[in-house]
Amino acid sequence: MPTQKSHETPAVGLTESDADYGFFFDQSQCTGCKACQVACIDKHDLPLGVMWRRVAEYSGGSWSQSGNTVMPNVFTYYTSMACNHCEDPICMKVCPTTAMSQRPDGTVYVENDKCVGCRYCEWACPYSAPQFNAETGHMTKCDLCFDYRSEGLEPACVAACPSRALDWGPIDELRAEHGDEDGIAPLPDPSITKPHLVIEPHRDAQQWDHATGHIANPEEI
Amino acid sequence: MNLHDVPMVLFTVVTQMSVGTFIALGVIQLLARHRDLTTTERVISPVLYAVGPALVFGLAVSMLHMNDVTHVFNVIRHWDSSWLSREILFGVAFGAFGFGFALLEWFGAGSRALRQTIAIVTAVLGIGLVWSQAMVYYSLVTVPAWHTWAVPVQFFTTTVLLGVLAVGGAMMVTAQVRAKRAAADLADPSEAPSDVAAPPEQPAGSGGGLAVLVRSRIREINAPSTGAEWTLTARVLKGIAVVGSVAAITILVVYPLYLGQLGQGDAAAQTSAAVFSGTMFWLRLVLTGLTAVLLGFFVYRMAESTMPTRSRLLADLVLLCLLLAVVGELLGRALHYSAMTRVGM
Repeated sequence: MPTQKSHETPAVGLTESDADYGFFFDQSQCTGCKACQVACIDKHDLPLGVMWRRVAEYSGGSWSQSGNTVMPNVFTYYTSMACNHCEDPICMKVCPTTAMSQRPDGTVYVENDKCVGCRYCEWACPYSAPQFNAETGHMTKCDLCFDYRSEGLEPACVAACPSRALDWGPIDELRAEHGDEDGIAPLPDPSITKPHLVIEPHRDAQQWDHATGHIANPEEI
Repeated sequence: MNLHDVPMVLFTVVTQMSVGTFIALGVIQLLARHRDLTTTERVISPVLYAVGPALVFGLAVSMLHMNDVTHVFNVIRHWDSSWLSREILFGVAFGAFGFGFALLEWFGAGSRALRQTIAIVTAVLGIGLVWSQAMVYYSLVTVPAWHTWAVPVQFFTTTVLLGVLAVGGAMMVTAQVRAKRAAADLADPSEAPSDVAAPPEQPAGSGGGLAVLVRSRIREINAPSTGAEWTLTARVLKGIAVVGSVAAITILVVYPLYLGQLGQGDAAAQTSAAVFSGTMFWLRLVLTGLTAVLLGFFVYRMAESTMPTRSRLLADLVLLCLLLAVVGELLGRALHYSAMTRVGM
């Protein structure tokens, strides 16, 4: 087999302690096809409306005039977002029951037998990672496909991306390889939760604190 | 306004009213301590018994926004990090101590010092409850409309306004009941108890000792007011008018400052600011403004000159203020929840 990197990771070592796993998202490659979102819903058999991974379309633009010529300058780019298994998970901090917990490998998950479904974590998380499942009355969220990883498989969203725009791994390795960008609009100030996320920005990407656009598909995310 | 916010709107407003009422009673007792104790207790103790049911109601509706009640005892596990856990702990502790205090007062049990200590602890727990309720919202740094000094200020002004008005309302209702009793006694003096503390005659078919005790206590509470009691009631009412109108004006002053701050914030903050417009917001402002005017001018003036036998209009006016303030605060709290817009996606 060819020497493709993490997609061929060996069966052991995908849930290692202190690995602090996170996601890499290549925004310049994303076409907004939502295969990652669909793969996630399918893998976890999520009910209608519960989406652990969502794809936001961020649009904006302006125009300039020189003489009689009006030049439009518009942009749109996609952001595929699940849980970033943050360094400072605000969901865990505010949860009254300690149901929102962290595995030794750094991934954040919901302990089902503790959750009361008060939805306080949903208010707190700036990435909309915790999602309420009305069927169970509990919160649910991305656990970076813990069951798949235990069997040596990759997270479903990463495996499904046709553009290879998604990857995952220990955050230190991802940062060494791709840099440390994690504050592209519509994402919030990364210092709030310190997400385990690295983004390769789209050419028109805007920083969170200099954002001029808006989310064009709010009803889809 | 969203329907799923209703339990939280009711819970926060009602518990804050309970806390405010309890503390207002304590302050009145403290200020009136140089007067004779019976008069003070006769004026304020009936109010105390109205706090309990209100708080129980408040805590009960708070259960409605949990989606899995079977796990409810987990909610105190994270007391060392989550303000939501702390809010619940303070709420339960305030309720338990308040209930204990009301029981002791009702049966006149325990020493005076013991009762006072319990009352002080209850008041501190109440302040802790309102503070932790405010911090539940303030601590969400991801929600600009909540992560602001305005939230604790608003929660405490609700506490003060509704607290003093609930005391005023309950006091005036008691005064009406007592006035009616006095009129009845005047019409048929044989029914009048010669002494309030006299042991009640046992009617046929009554329950055990406890039922007798409760009945005699109710009779004691409803016995006609003395002149000294009315003087104290009128004085307390003037204080309530002043404190209440100051609280209402504070609520009105906070809004422009708060909205100015939101207007200068990021996109999420500006989305939140837009919630404070339209009929509901204006109704909230008008009701609160009306409460301030009625309290500051009419209630204060009337409390100065009204005779106990003609206190009906004054009582109605105080109850009207209570109603306006409660509706105003409920609308204000509903707006607080509607303003929730988070940063990020």
